[in-house]
Amino acid sequence: MVAVMFLLPYLVLFTLFVLSPVAYGFWISLHNWHVLSTSAPFVGMRNYAGVVKDDRFWQSIVQTGYFVVLTVPAGNLLSLLLAVGLNQKFRGDAVYKVCFYLPVVTSVSVLAVTWRWLYARDIGILNYYLGVPVDWLNDPKLVMPSLALMSIWWGAGANMLIYLAALKAIPKEYLEAAELDGATPWRRFWRVSIPVMSPAILFCTVMSVIGASQVFGQSYILTGGGPADRSLTVSLYMYQMGFGQYQLGYACSVAYLLFLFVFVFSAAQFKLMARNFRAG
Amino acid sequence: MRVKRLIVAGMCFLAVGCSPMGYSPPDDKGVLHLNFWNGFSGPDGATMERIVHQFNDEHPKIQVRMQIIPWGTYYDKVTLSLAFGGAPDVFVLHAQRVPEYATHGALAHIDRFVKEFGPEPSDFMPRQWQAGVVNGERFSIPLDCHPLGLYYNARLFREAGIVHPPTNEKEFEEDARRLTDPKKNRWGFVVTDFHLIGSTVFAQYGGGLMTEDLKKSALDDASSLDAVNRIIGWVKDGHICPKPDPGGAWGAFQTGRAAMAMQGIWMIDSIAHQEGLEAAAAPVPQFGPKPGVWASSHCLCMPAKLPENRQQAAYTFIKYLSDHSLDWAKAGQVPVRRSILTSKEFQALPIQREFAKQLPYVVYEPFSVSVNQCAGFADTAVEAAVQGVEPARETLQKAAQRVNRVLDLR
Repeated sequence: MVAVMFLLPYLVLFTLFVLSPVAYGFWISLHNWHVLSTSAPFVGMRNYAGVVKDDRFWQSIVQTGYFVVLTVPAGNLLSLLLAVGLNQKFRGDAVYKVCFYLPVVTSVSVLAVTWRWLYARDIGILNYYLGVPVDWLNDPKLVMPSLALMSIWWGAGANMLIYLAALKAIPKEYLEAAELDGATPWRRFWRVSIPVMSPAILFCTVMSVIGASQVFGQSYILTGGGPADRSLTVSLYMYQMGFGQYQLGYACSVAYLLFLFVFVFSAAQFKLMARNFRAG
Repeated sequence: MRVKRLIVAGMCFLAVGCSPMGYSPPDDKGVLHLNFWNGFSGPDGATMERIVHQFNDEHPKIQVRMQIIPWGTYYDKVTLSLAFGGAPDVFVLHAQRVPEYATHGALAHIDRFVKEFGPEPSDFMPRQWQAGVVNGERFSIPLDCHPLGLYYNARLFREAGIVHPPTNEKEFEEDARRLTDPKKNRWGFVVTDFHLIGSTVFAQYGGGLMTEDLKKSALDDASSLDAVNRIIGWVKDGHICPKPDPGGAWGAFQTGRAAMAMQGIWMIDSIAHQEGLEAAAAPVPQFGPKPGVWASSHCLCMPAKLPENRQQAAYTFIKYLSDHSLDWAKAGQVPVRRSILTSKEFQALPIQREFAKQLPYVVYEPFSVSVNQCAGFADTAVEAAVQGVEPARETLQKAAQRVNRVLDLR
């Protein structure tokens, strides 16, 4: 009873601001609801059927998947490398930590506007140093990799901190024992550090996949989904439907389908990776 | 129990906080305060503010408060206020948005006000007067018309020995070719906006987003393909136009790297303040079989739920703005009242005057309740075809299917 009392403030807020909107969203998704209309007729699963038949939805799913593939492995590898680097003892490591972490606490809108200048074809600093006018954001083939590059830079610091904490938590005895047995630094990292860190790796990759599946700000601000829908992601598609076209029911059903995809994918990832780590 | 009561109290508090605001009655001096929303966040906002001040001075019993909300977020705010309360008494909608709002019952009918108080419909240009009519009923008064036009660099034209701006496809390509030197990164023409240019060329060829009866898409018609191929022709081998980069194209015109660009009348201020740029304007050349050019209007509307006494006051203000649209035109707009268009003062505005020549044949976006849902499909198709992402025929067919699916659902 006492425990319930202590939990209550959180539970009330959680129910009011998270659970009930989630349930309400599902209810909306069953209605044909234009924000201005005075009546919103119940249509059952017709919104879902409409979304599944929309080729732009599938295009946005494919592009979001592409974004996940581009950012998650490369981003986690970079975070791990940075963490390993910072785990070496050297003067001024705090400065580096701050520098790598700074983008994480900066809002995506600020970063996107900054990167728009970096990426600009004719006046951008990237092309200035490259010496060739690369069309970073306007080339249909390059646009997703460009958004991924910015996102990796933006998010690397967050996972870096988790990996660094995991590295620091490895018991010294394990590493010393391995060293006495004549293991090279590479083998020590691969055979001792990585297995011990596996819960952290699992956590970071699953969270990165979930985060990357919901990518919105980058494409919303930098490209608006262009050129020719080539950077349209699921979240942006949902936003366009809900706030550009005011089809609230339709947008909610997109949200639920995205949730379903991410849920299934994360669960599968958990199962597969957890089994592998245990075997390793 | 106490917790339950607290939750109930909290819910009530939230519910009250979210409830629609009522309209306040006239204050104790009998003055009615009206709210007026628009998206004029550029220099046009200052002009509008002056007109509003002038109105307030002349009408002591009606005081208008203007709020400017940048266009980027404007429609979200207007829509939510109309749906959930707090809507202004007078607001601006672009002509192509009026059918959507009117069909959902969000706008007040104003036919009876026009009959009783004016303005005289015959003083309006006929096409523009039709903007704001949905199923034969009037929901708004068009304040202006902002068509696309051709801006050109008069100095570069003079240096190349070209005496007048192009009026048709042949002259356009010849002039553009003479003004292009890819090695020096100098171009005859730049593509600034796929939506505006696409809509214009569609209008000239007879294709476009929807057929005239608004029942199906015309994007898979042969005329739409011809229109897109025309734009591709300009861009294809880089003989008159660089690879389209809408983000940087207007800058290329401003800095003299491009001699011609098609843009809306609203860009007038950005050329006035560009040092060393000798810009002039002309009607968009006729590329296709018939004249046509994209345009829209700022339409003045009132919400459907407005009480009667406020409706009359709001209409007084709407009519005042229309009557004073010459002042508005000076800020970079084309008025739609014949009496103003033919006035000496308006004819003295060099750029506005040129844009105004297009008023008899401008083409608005289809006045369909679904246009906001579908317009993006055509833009994506034009962009994909012109940028070489997909073959023109396939991408237009795909866009037509998307439009038809939306239209069939209605």
